[in-house]
Amino acid sequence: MKNNNPLSPHIQVYNWHISSLVSISHRITGIINIVGITIICFWVIYLLSGESSYQILNTFLNSIYGKFVILGLTWSFSFQILSEIRHLFMDYGLGFDLKIANITGLLVILGSIIFTVLIFILGRNLI
Amino acid sequence: MVQMNLPQNSKVQKGKYYKDKTGSKNLRKVNIYRWDPSTGENPRIDTYEVDMDNCPSKVLDLLNKIKNEIDPSIAYRRSCAHGVCGSCAMNMDGKNGLACTKPHDEIKGDINIYPLPHLKVLKDLIGDLSTLYKQYESIQPWLKNTNNKNEKENLQSREDRSKLDGLYECIMCACCSTSCPSYWWNGEKYLGPAVLLQAYRWIIDSRDEDRQERLKKVADELKLYRCHTIMNCTNACPKGLNPAKAIAEIKKMLVTA
Repeated sequence: MKNNNPLSPHIQVYNWHISSLVSISHRITGIINIVGITIICFWVIYLLSGESSYQILNTFLNSIYGKFVILGLTWSFSFQILSEIRHLFMDYGLGFDLKIANITGLLVILGSIIFTVLIFILGRNLI
Repeated sequence: MVQMNLPQNSKVQKGKYYKDKTGSKNLRKVNIYRWDPSTGENPRIDTYEVDMDNCPSKVLDLLNKIKNEIDPSIAYRRSCAHGVCGSCAMNMDGKNGLACTKPHDEIKGDINIYPLPHLKVLKDLIGDLSTLYKQYESIQPWLKNTNNKNEKENLQSREDRSKLDGLYECIMCACCSTSCPSYWWNGEKYLGPAVLLQAYRWIIDSRDEDRQERLKKVADELKLYRCHTIMNCTNACPKGLNPAKAIAEIKKMLVTA
């Protein structure tokens, strides 16, 4: 018999906290990174196909949208790497205490922003 | 596929408003999820104005007060009122917990009370936990020991006994499992934190002789590895236990065994 009773509200009513935010962001950045790597591959192909096509990309990457994409990808990669390190410790059975999990989660969020700024500044100054 | 939205018949509507009749100045609004199986209507949120001057400290007291003094039709489970039986597990202020141990003054603003998330509702705040109980049965939660001719007690060293601390205290209230997004999306196949914590409780018991079999049974892409350490379970547990860690320990045992 089909159960036609209503389903109680779930994601609509449940509160977010640091660990769940980091977890969902880990998934989203994972998907973004796959797209990002694809874009980087295309970038390399453009580099190979000569100056004119490189110019198109160069103009795009130096535009405000391009900078947004680059910053976004830098953050996404930073976040993914830091969160992955957190997961590595968790796989080892460490950091499951609620307090510690919240602190490491916060570190991942703050760290990813700091990494993004650092990498962007370093990259700008080197080139 | 993950379904974010509630199905059409589960969409929550605005319900009745029960105005205060006591004339009290210390009022709080309590929003409660209501669904009556006899009407065929969608669930609704009823709002009650409650006189807080004459209300004891816990959310369960608040519910009892509403049921006794304002609206006797409201349905919820409760029994011990001391955080031991696990009957009054529900979603309060966006977080699962036991109504009998949750003080209402910890909640800021209006008090929102829902049934445990992502369950088929039986009535009002009562959710259907039969899937979870079936899953619990599937891990065979009893001691398996062939050495039953021994007429003495089955002794355990202090060290082995201490491995059960943080596990045996579980009261199976289902706060953790119903807080877990993985369990929401894969509740039929993923065992969920409550059942996995129980599975670990028997795996780690030094008196149990079935450890390898138990591990083999639970080592499944869907049954175990849907845990992505979201930690909602540990965050929700009203007994302060750590199901996420128990699941991690099972995973660790599987790779190191």
